[in-house]
Amino acid sequence: MDEKIEQLKQEAAEVIRKHAATLTELNDIRVRYLGKKGEITNLLRSLGQLSQEDRPRVGQIVNTARVQLEALIAQKNAELKARELADRLSSEEIDITLPGRMQPVGHLHPLTLTQNRIKNIFMDMGFTVEEGPEIERDYFNFEALNLPKDHPARDMQDSFYITDEILMRTQTSPVQARTMQAHEPNAPIRMIAPGRVYRRDDYDATHSPMFTQVEGLVIDRGISLADLKGTLELFLHKIFNPDVGVRFRPSFFPFTEPSAEVDISCVMCHGKGCRVCKGTGWLEILGAGMVHPHVLEMSGYDPHQVSGFAFGLGVERIAMLSYGIDDLRLFYDNDLRFLRQF
Amino acid sequence: MQVSIKWLKDYIDFLETPEELADKLTMAGIPVENVIRADQGLEKVVTGRIEKLEKHQNSDHLQICTMNVGAGEPLTIVTGAQNVAEGQIVPVALVGAHLPNGLKIAKGKLRGVVSMGMLCSAGELKLDLSKLTAEQQDGIYILPADTPIGMPVNKVLGLDDVVLEFELTANRGDCFSVMGLVREIAVLTGNQPRWPLIQVQEDDADTAAGLLQIGIDAADLCSRFSARVLKNVKIGPSPVWMQQRLESAGIRAINNVVDVTNFVMVELGQPMHAYDYDAIAGHCLQVRRAVSGEELHTLDDSSRKARGEELVIADAEKAAGLAGVMGGLETEITAHTQTVVLEAAAFNGPSIRRTSRACGLHSEASGRFERGVDVTQTLRALNRAAQLLQAMGACTVCAGTVDVYPQPVQPVQVSFTVQQINDRLGTRLAGGKMTAILESLGFKVEATGSDSYLVTVPSWRNDVAYMADLSEEVARIYGFDHIDSTTPAGNVMMARQSDRQTFIDQMKSIFCSLGMDEENSFSFTHPSMFDKLNVPQDSPLRCAIPIMNPLTDEYPLVRTTLLSSIFENTVRNLSRKNEDIRLFDIAPVFFPKALPVTEQPDEVIKVAGLLTGRRDPLGWAQNNAMVDFYDAKGIVEQLLEGLHITHYTVERGEHYAMHPGKTAFFKKGREIIAAVGEVHPAVAAAFDVTKKMYIFEMDVATLMKYSAAKFSYQPLPKYPAISRDLAMLVDEKVCASAIEQVIAKNAGKYFKSVCLFDLYTGKQIAAGKKSLAFAMQFQSADKTLTDAEVDEACAHIMEAVTRDFDAELRA
Repeated sequence: MDEKIEQLKQEAAEVIRKHAATLTELNDIRVRYLGKKGEITNLLRSLGQLSQEDRPRVGQIVNTARVQLEALIAQKNAELKARELADRLSSEEIDITLPGRMQPVGHLHPLTLTQNRIKNIFMDMGFTVEEGPEIERDYFNFEALNLPKDHPARDMQDSFYITDEILMRTQTSPVQARTMQAHEPNAPIRMIAPGRVYRRDDYDATHSPMFTQVEGLVIDRGISLADLKGTLELFLHKIFNPDVGVRFRPSFFPFTEPSAEVDISCVMCHGKGCRVCKGTGWLEILGAGMVHPHVLEMSGYDPHQVSGFAFGLGVERIAMLSYGIDDLRLFYDNDLRFLRQF
Repeated sequence: MQVSIKWLKDYIDFLETPEELADKLTMAGIPVENVIRADQGLEKVVTGRIEKLEKHQNSDHLQICTMNVGAGEPLTIVTGAQNVAEGQIVPVALVGAHLPNGLKIAKGKLRGVVSMGMLCSAGELKLDLSKLTAEQQDGIYILPADTPIGMPVNKVLGLDDVVLEFELTANRGDCFSVMGLVREIAVLTGNQPRWPLIQVQEDDADTAAGLLQIGIDAADLCSRFSARVLKNVKIGPSPVWMQQRLESAGIRAINNVVDVTNFVMVELGQPMHAYDYDAIAGHCLQVRRAVSGEELHTLDDSSRKARGEELVIADAEKAAGLAGVMGGLETEITAHTQTVVLEAAAFNGPSIRRTSRACGLHSEASGRFERGVDVTQTLRALNRAAQLLQAMGACTVCAGTVDVYPQPVQPVQVSFTVQQINDRLGTRLAGGKMTAILESLGFKVEATGSDSYLVTVPSWRNDVAYMADLSEEVARIYGFDHIDSTTPAGNVMMARQSDRQTFIDQMKSIFCSLGMDEENSFSFTHPSMFDKLNVPQDSPLRCAIPIMNPLTDEYPLVRTTLLSSIFENTVRNLSRKNEDIRLFDIAPVFFPKALPVTEQPDEVIKVAGLLTGRRDPLGWAQNNAMVDFYDAKGIVEQLLEGLHITHYTVERGEHYAMHPGKTAFFKKGREIIAAVGEVHPAVAAAFDVTKKMYIFEMDVATLMKYSAAKFSYQPLPKYPAISRDLAMLVDEKVCASAIEQVIAKNAGKYFKSVCLFDLYTGKQIAAGKKSLAFAMQFQSADKTLTDAEVDEACAHIMEAVTRDFDAELRA
């Protein structure tokens, strides 16, 4: 009997190893040995015919054999399942090099992106964003900025006139005067005014009859040229990079005194001198200065009580330097192959 | 303004290179735009004599020169030029030279003969060909026979001067002169200038006052008018040194008298004019306003009718010149002039500017008058000019001057305290430092207290009138770079932008998420656009504001609609084969309150969009269908949803640029909040576009009005929703939205939403009919609905749609 059991167990193990190629075959094998009418089951049933003393011992042997076979089957089952899964996965392989399915994606204009960056930097410093009309009175565009009629500095900004007294604003600076006049006299101001401006310039790689400026104005007690330097250096380091060189050159604007042109070290050649900076290593990036006492007075502020600084910068210029764009017309050409790069 | 280093060095010494000097001046607010070296590229070009000339054995046209270039062995140079001969002295580019035209000279072999350089033509040296004879222009540039050999050619040709080109600011009229620049250089280098000693021998018995009468009739436009008379004038060329100085300043030499007036103008900054005395009718000169219609015949031999505002210098009969701008032709100095009147005056800057712009005449003189001249200087300038001409032996000088100076200007005085300037600059400079800077610039400084000073501004600095101006003088000489960088102290300010700006930012970001690209377009347009866009003749859109002085004929108006721009951009893209277009624009348009314009117009911020081409990016797994009306409409719907604008109606609309059967208006009550439609075929044809295009238009202020200012969330339902689908056949003409409205009205209290999810017309359906399928949702906030409750609601709906639309329900 013992031998028979051992033989049967060996035989079943052999069959599982060699003839169970699929889960169905394995199941058939299980039924053949362990099913209700299986050979091991039959053996267990026949235990009754054994003597009283043999029955427990033989029963234990049969049971052990059954447990061992069940373990073998379970192991084989796991193996077969794993193989089957692997087969399925491998049959499901796809060409992952095919392009993904695209949704149409929109793009903000590079000037909007640049203007937003400028806006965010100044808003982080507590500046408000002010607006003003694009068709402006000569008074706000020029006179309130200390540029009376016939002032030679008006030549710098040849204007599109609508009437003798109304023009397309040549700068965002009129928003300075408008903002001051909207405030209580001598109230502190920290503002920028982004917007479109218009000049009678021929349309070429560096000029456009319409372009975008950001004007800035800070007024408070005790504002100094040193504050102007510090604020603009902070801005330029943020918008370009912390290592960019900044220099302030004395200059002239009728609405500021002292006035400065602000240059940055050339972002293309890092100050070595190249085509973009015309070999100087410097790029003119914005104009600034201490607000002229006249300008304060004309808008109801008392230059003995408060002082301030103002600045103006070109959004196109900053965008061109940031993205390496060499022709300003690309901004207004609206070629989708350009717009979709941003 | 341009001045040469040599001219500057006539009056002051400095060790700085031209570039270093340019940098110093620039950093002190006297911007040098360019340092021009006429001899750039001539470093390795020397003079050499052709000792021997032989024919090249292997060539008909080449010749072999043996060149003596001073030091070292003679050089063999092969040349193709035919105008050379033995004994001539010519410019020789040595090996290693890099000529102005870009040519690099290397050791070469021409048909077997080694050549050690090149003989140069005038063109290769970049000489001004217009000054040369035809012979000099062609072939090798032959130098005079007495030219030393082995000399750098730039010295021989007088090209070793360096010119500084200034881009002066409008306030510094004083720097439009060598003297003004020398003054600045003296301050920046600490060196002493050598001013010319101006003295004149009045060696003619006649007096100026006896020969000439002058007067000012327009004292508001002319503060001083002075003149000298010179007799026995011998007109001829001016000396070479003066011609070279003038040339370096960009002024052409003409004759000794004119050259001297120009020289003094550049030297001292005082424009001058010379008249032929005998051509002055009545021998009197009067400064007056032109009479309207009066003939103005200027030196450039052009004639114009006066408008009546111009300032002129007139003799007894007529205007003899445009004051401060250009002299008159009749009184011009000619080869026969014997007696000369030299004039130096101070004219009103704005008046000169107006005249010069009105006449389109800009001269060296008008540029200086516009910026203001030093009124105290007129006699100095006259004396300087007389002195120079006398030194040339070109004239005798009549005794005395005539000088009309009705109201001598008083020097400007400004007071300041050390603290004021330090506060303005953010510095801690000592008073002594400030006064030293100011005094070095010619200001007279007088202490009025321990900390306060009274400053007298020099006559040439008409730009200084306030403490702020003094602070700038201190800052620019002290150096902006030496001033600290701080950030403003004081009030903490809160950043903010307008609600409208935030709203526009939000719209832009929604458009981007909907696949729309932002354009940026000019605010200008052309009247023909209104016809192309099919704008009705009586539409206010046609009342666009004209620009008085447009740049070109292309854009004479300020736009009233964004559609003109968006079509222009679309057409441009299509012409470049960018065929799948989804553009949007948010920008102002301008409506006059009345035409002609008398006050500022209304600026209205509009939104426009255009779609054409494929729906999705092209791809193997993409929806490659073309966009249609519903893509454009969907963009508008999703934008409105993003802006929390709800409960609007959509109706058929009429829009000039849209297809009448494919136009939808989104409305709140009777107000249109958006228009969307297919572009009218006539409009598309006007733009030469054959593809279908879809556009939409909105107005930012209107959208803002209906955008929920405060938005709060809807709680999520606790109980599940039950869905039912309803399919029906109806007449083709029935609007889906009408059915939806009837469904909503009859669906009972648990109705939640209805959505059209299928639309079919075609083979399996009777002609003239369409099949619609709606998905409806029912939900209660308090309980889970039973099928029976929902079935009952559906039964009502079915009854209503069957009745109202003659609908045939489908299983």
